Amino acid sequence: MKALILVGGFGTRLRPLTLSFPKPLVDFANKPMILHQIEALKEVGVTEVVLAINYRPEVMINFLKDFEDKLGITITCSQETEPLGTAGPLALARDKLADGSGEPFFVLNSDVISEYPFAELIKFHKSHGGEATIMVTKVDEPSKYGVVVMEEATGRVERFVEKPKIFVGNKINAGIYLLNPSVLDRIELRPTSIEKEVFPQIAADQQLYAMVLPGFWMDVGQPRDYITGLRLYLDSLRKKSAARLAAGAHVVGNVLVHESAKIGEGCLIGPDVAIGPGCVVEDGVRLSRCTVMRGVRIKKHACISNSIIGWHSTVGQWARIENMTILGEDVHVCDEVYSNGGVVLPHKEIKSSILKPEIVM
Amino acid sequence: MKALILVGGFGTRLRPLTLSVPKPLVDFGNKPMILHQIEALKEVGVTEVVLAINYQPEVMLNFLKDFESKLGIKITCSQETEPLGTAGPLALARDKLADGSGDPFFVLNSDVISEYPFAELIEFHRAHGGEATIMVTKVDEPSKYGVVVMEEGTGKVERFVEKPKAFVGNKINAGIYLLNPSVLGRIELKPTSIEKEVFPRVAADGALFAMVLPGFWMDIGQPRDYITGLRLYLDSLRKKAPARLASGAHVLGNVLVHETAVIGDGCLIGPDVAVGPGCVVEAGVRLSRCTVMRAARVKQHACVSSSIIGWHSTVGKWARVENMTILGEDVHVCDEIYSNGGVVLPHKEIKSSILKPEIVM
Repeated sequence: MKALILVGGFGTRLRPLTLSFPKPLVDFANKPMILHQIEALKEVGVTEVVLAINYRPEVMINFLKDFEDKLGITITCSQETEPLGTAGPLALARDKLADGSGEPFFVLNSDVISEYPFAELIKFHKSHGGEATIMVTKVDEPSKYGVVVMEEATGRVERFVEKPKIFVGNKINAGIYLLNPSVLDRIELRPTSIEKEVFPQIAADQQLYAMVLPGFWMDVGQPRDYITGLRLYLDSLRKKSAARLAAGAHVVGNVLVHESAKIGEGCLIGPDVAIGPGCVVEDGVRLSRCTVMRGVRIKKHACISNSIIGWHSTVGQWARIENMTILGEDVHVCDEVYSNGGVVLPHKEIKSSILKPEIVM
Repeated sequence: MKALILVGGFGTRLRPLTLSVPKPLVDFGNKPMILHQIEALKEVGVTEVVLAINYQPEVMLNFLKDFESKLGIKITCSQETEPLGTAGPLALARDKLADGSGDPFFVLNSDVISEYPFAELIEFHRAHGGEATIMVTKVDEPSKYGVVVMEEGTGKVERFVEKPKAFVGNKINAGIYLLNPSVLGRIELKPTSIEKEVFPRVAADGALFAMVLPGFWMDIGQPRDYITGLRLYLDSLRKKAPARLASGAHVLGNVLVHETAVIGDGCLIGPDVAVGPGCVVEAGVRLSRCTVMRAARVKQHACVSSSIIGWHSTVGKWARVENMTILGEDVHVCDEIYSNGGVVLPHKEIKSSILKPEIVM
């Protein structure tokens, strides 16, 4: 079985993190986003993953070569020389996806974090016998999205309504698809939207089905949603693999700490925190609702909330970091500095406080 | 003869341009900054250039391999694994710089644009017989710099005064040195400042001389100085190689247009403009005091002043781009947009006006 992951382009919404790595290699809960997807695909028998890429393919491939061996799965690139939208990449990778077996293949948006219930998806796809299945998720404010209108009993998709003013449903495309090879014949090699062009055609032919995604879902493609997604992910871990979460008097709620990280005395960590490989959290530190990435040092008495601390950065003693502060790679916040929503590009030293949200270049 | 170019680190002051290429590869006067230096070094008989680098060495080397052949000069890298200041790199590259010939070697800061009067420097160095020569340049406000105090008659350096409050002289270090190999004996392999540690010792031994740099000089390591440096450079071209400058009714003052650029009817270009390789300037465009980099397109009736337009970017019809607007690579300003000092990271589309200087990420 095959899978295509739509890696896409520049990841500008997740800057400054994506100035150091392509977006799918940005860490989420202590491992690159794309690994969450690849590992889940492998578990349901996918043997080859194709990455549809149009930016820095060599960085992606070099990184993932290591994991091909570890995971026992083939990872290849299909490089777009110009952006092809969300459907064009399927046409570009046609000869890799259609292997003659007639088996369906997965297509995933790389920004999506969920429980990846791929086994259930395969089962549902086989049972309805249609050409394509999309996973959908419920949202609170459907008027902001493209809504999928479907028959509740069978899941057959009737139509798509973009940003409906009148309620027509509350389920949106979750960015996870399982498609028969015949779908490839519907797609030309040009910039095309799978959501706005291909799926409506399949629905018109009554061949498109939607399955409601169980568990949590979040598009973590921008910082605020990344932080929300972390909370949802850790909640899910609490239910499914509680032993992976940290425990102790110093822990509040759900906290994920990499085994190589060090946490000092008198800290209070949590809720909803991920501390990455090689991190050092010194004595008396307070962390809540944040991600601390690989190789970061948080010095004594610092207080961090609702923020992302990028790789190899430092937060000084008594520093206060909050309100969606995003530190890029190798950023050093001096002692006693306050950052209220600062967004800092890589390789900078922050010597004075940032009192209102601003970009530091 | 050898030369060491201090390439340095992340180039954060010249962002967003240095988010796409290392600083020495940023175009200046239609070719990468570092090529101005390497070409001038070759002209006085330098046969090997060593780059002291601590960031993206492979990008630099890949790019410069092409030029090694064209220029007939050897280019190698000496990579710092941690920043070594401005003197440490000399110790690191010791075995490349000291070839036993006893010849002096050049050391250059990579941000410096000047006429590179290296032949005069060699002559001066030989004449005084001291251990080291630094080039100095006059500045209007010496109190902002480290001032070099020297004997006017001989150029012998007496001392250095950092940000003097009382006037002691108006000459500062121009970032161009010619050093005897014995200077290497004074430098340990650790982070060291050549300006604050090594040169004061050489001066104390009565062996350091300063030559006043003829012609223009500018450290173009940040955008405002880059634009000023362009004016000085084009003035210098006007005196030395006026045939390289554009002429015609559509040209005002000094303008450099690459032979592959296309300029439409009814434009007014200049003063102090560089239009790079493969650029398209459509009809009715006004350009002044700006650089338009490789393959950028400026559409009809647009007005650009005191700005830098990065590689592969677009400025829309009737757009107005001014006041130190810096467009990174592949930035697209829509029609009729006004940018007043916007600093735009790569791969962005600007759909609404930027009314006061801000960073767009």
